[in-house]
Amino acid sequence: MAAPTLWEVLDRACNTGPVMATKDFDMKIFSVATRLTKEYDIKYDPKTPVSSDDSLADDVWKAGLQLFTEVGAYCMNSSRLIQFDESEVRQGLKEMRGEAVVGEGSERRTLKLRKVEDSSPPSIICGGVIESNFPEGENFVKLYQTIAQEPLIDGFYVGPPLQSSEGRLVRSGTPLETHLGRSMVSWVREAIRRAGRPGLHFISACTSALANVAAADPHEGLRRSDGIVSTIMPELKTDYENLNKIVYSHDYGCIKHVYNGGMIGGWAGGPEGALIVSIANAIMAVMVYQMSVGASYHALGYLRASTPNYSAFVTRPCLWGSSIGSQALSRNTKIINTAVAMTNAGPGTEMQLQEIVSAICASIPCGREGLSQGARRFKVVPLLGSGLENRFWGEVGHAMSRVKRDFANHLAEEMLQRYEHRITRESDGGPLGHTLDEIYDLKTLQPRRRFLDVYERVKRELEDLGLEF
Amino acid sequence: MLYFTYLGFSGIILTVEEEILQSLSDAVLNFDADAAIDAAKASVEAKISPVKAIEEGLAKGLRVVGDKFEAGELWLPHLVLGAEALEAAVKVLEGHMALEDLESTSRGTIVIGTVEGDIHDLGLRIVASMLRANGFRVYDIGCDAHTLNFIEKAKEVNADIIAASSLMTTTMPFMKDLVEALEAAGIRDQYKVMVGGGPVSEEWAKAIGVDGYGKDAAEAVHVAKELVKR
Repeated sequence: MAAPTLWEVLDRACNTGPVMATKDFDMKIFSVATRLTKEYDIKYDPKTPVSSDDSLADDVWKAGLQLFTEVGAYCMNSSRLIQFDESEVRQGLKEMRGEAVVGEGSERRTLKLRKVEDSSPPSIICGGVIESNFPEGENFVKLYQTIAQEPLIDGFYVGPPLQSSEGRLVRSGTPLETHLGRSMVSWVREAIRRAGRPGLHFISACTSALANVAAADPHEGLRRSDGIVSTIMPELKTDYENLNKIVYSHDYGCIKHVYNGGMIGGWAGGPEGALIVSIANAIMAVMVYQMSVGASYHALGYLRASTPNYSAFVTRPCLWGSSIGSQALSRNTKIINTAVAMTNAGPGTEMQLQEIVSAICASIPCGREGLSQGARRFKVVPLLGSGLENRFWGEVGHAMSRVKRDFANHLAEEMLQRYEHRITRESDGGPLGHTLDEIYDLKTLQPRRRFLDVYERVKRELEDLGLEF
Repeated sequence: MLYFTYLGFSGIILTVEEEILQSLSDAVLNFDADAAIDAAKASVEAKISPVKAIEEGLAKGLRVVGDKFEAGELWLPHLVLGAEALEAAVKVLEGHMALEDLESTSRGTIVIGTVEGDIHDLGLRIVASMLRANGFRVYDIGCDAHTLNFIEKAKEVNADIIAASSLMTTTMPFMKDLVEALEAAGIRDQYKVMVGGGPVSEEWAKAIGVDGYGKDAAEAVHVAKELVKR
C-alpha cells in the first residue's frame, strides 16, 4: 500500500477530515503528550544538555509516533483533522529517499541523512539573517554577498528581512509583499553572481504563498534547485497559506523546506512534552507536507511568561530537547534534519558565537545534516546580520562532525556556563550586537579587525577546550 | 479559623465558609471543572457571598496557577484548564448575584487578538490566560483579527482595553491601523490600547501612539493593571 498522495491529504484537510474546535485539539495534544511522557518515563535532565542515551532517543521516537497517530494534524482554516492510520504513517516514512539535491552546476550539493556521530562533513545551509530589517537594494545584496563568499556555505535561507518594497512599507500578505518576493530573489541572484557562485542554493521564506510563487522563475528567479519554506504551526497545525506553498513547491518541483519544532511551555507542556510533540511535528512534515525531498528544520523554542526571548532556542532545556530529538529522527527515519537556532545575542559578539557552538553541539554529533541560524530575533534593528557569524557556523559545524556526543555535552556545558546567566529580562536577552556596516568594510566586503579578533579569540578558546579545526 | 492543641498535636479547624473557599481554590488549582461546580453549589447553599466565593476562592486559585506558570512550574494548558474551572464555577454563582456585583469581581474588560495576517496564537493565549488569572474579563478574538473586529468587539462588550499582538515585522503595521481607525471613528479616548509580541518594541508602541506595551506576558498584566487605574 502506498502512502496517501498529496491530493488525498489535501482532501482530508479541506473536505473530508472530521471537524474539531481548535481548543479541543490543543487540549488533546496536552492530554496525550502528558500520558506518553509518563508511559515512556521521559524526564528532563538539565545536567545533560547533549544526551548520549540511545534508548531515550528511541523512546522519544516511539512516543512522538504514537502522539501523531493518535492526534493527527489540524487545518486552522477548515477546522478539520488530517488523520492517518499507523500503516499509512509507516509507509510514508518508508518512502522517504534520505537525500535531496540542491543548487546547480559547481554549487550542486547533496543533502544526506547523517547518522548519530557520523564523521562525514555536514552541509552548511545557513540562516543568513532572520527578522532583522534590511533596506531594499544595495546593502541587501552586500549582506548576501558576504555570506555567499564564504567557501563553507552550501546555501542559505533568505529573510524576510526587508520591510519595504519600492520604498513603501510591506505588510504580510499584501500585493507589495508579492512584488517584494520577486525583487528579493533577484537581489539574491545578484549577490551570488558577484560572489562567483551563481548556482548556489537558497530558500525563499516570504510569509505569503503568492510572494513565493511570484519569485519562481527557472532562469532569473527562484529555481527548481532552490527551495520554499513552509511552516508547521505549534503544535501540529497547518493552514491554507502553508498548504498553498506546499502545493506550489510540489507542482513546480523545487525543494520543500519545512520549519517544525516544539514549544516548551506550549500545548504539549514542559520540555518532555515539547520534545515528544517536536517528533510528531516532524512526522507531520513528512505526511502532510510530503517532505520526501527536502529538509526539516527541527527546533525547540521556549515559552515563558517573563522570559525576554520568545524563542530562546539555545537555552538549556531547548538544547536538551534538540539533542535528543536529532538523535530520535536520525536513528529512526530518513528525514534530512537540519538545525535552527536563533541566538539571543546579536552579530559580532562573543556571546552569539558561544550560543552558536551550543546549538551545533546539540545538532551535528546528534545526526543533523545542515545548519541554520538567525541573528538575534525580534530586535528590529536595521542591518543586523553579516557573513562572519555564518562563517563561524561553517567552521565549527565541520569541526564538530569529528567529535562524539560526550565531548559535545562537555562543550555545550562550558558554553552555557559562559552565557546562560546573561539571558535575562534586564539585558533583554543579551547584547544587541553590531550591524553589517560596523562588522564589514562595505567597500572591500571584508570583516573588520576587531570583529575578527573576537572570532579568533573564541576559536582559540574552543581549541583549548579540545575542539580541533 | 481556629487553632488547637490536643495531646501534643496542634492543628487548624476551618469554618464551613473557609472550607468551601478552600475547595473552590483547590478545584481551580487541580484544573477540575466538575469539582469547581460542586464547590460553587456548596457555596450558594451555605449562603456565602458570591463575590467572596469568586475573589477569595476561585480567583485566588487561578492567581496561584498564574504564579506557577511564571515560575516555569506549570504550562499554557494548565492556565487554560484553570481558567475553564473558574468560568464553570462562576456560571453557577452568577445566577445568585446582581450584575453590578459580578462586574465588581473584574478588574476590567479586555478585548485581545493577534492582528491581521498573523496566525501566531501561542503568545496571545498566554497573555489572555495571564490576564484572566489576574482578574480581568478577557474576550479573545483570536489570530488574524481584522482591525474593525477589534473595535466592534470592544464596543459590544464595553471594553476598557484593546490589546493587540504581532509576531512578524510585516504584520506590526496593522497595530497602527487600529489606532488610526479608533481616531477616525472619534472613539480613541474611550479605550486604552496596548500592544506586544516578538518584534514589537517600546519605541514602536510610542511611535504609533498606543497607551501601553508589554515586553512579555508578565509585563502585559502589570501594564493592564496600570491602564485600568487611569
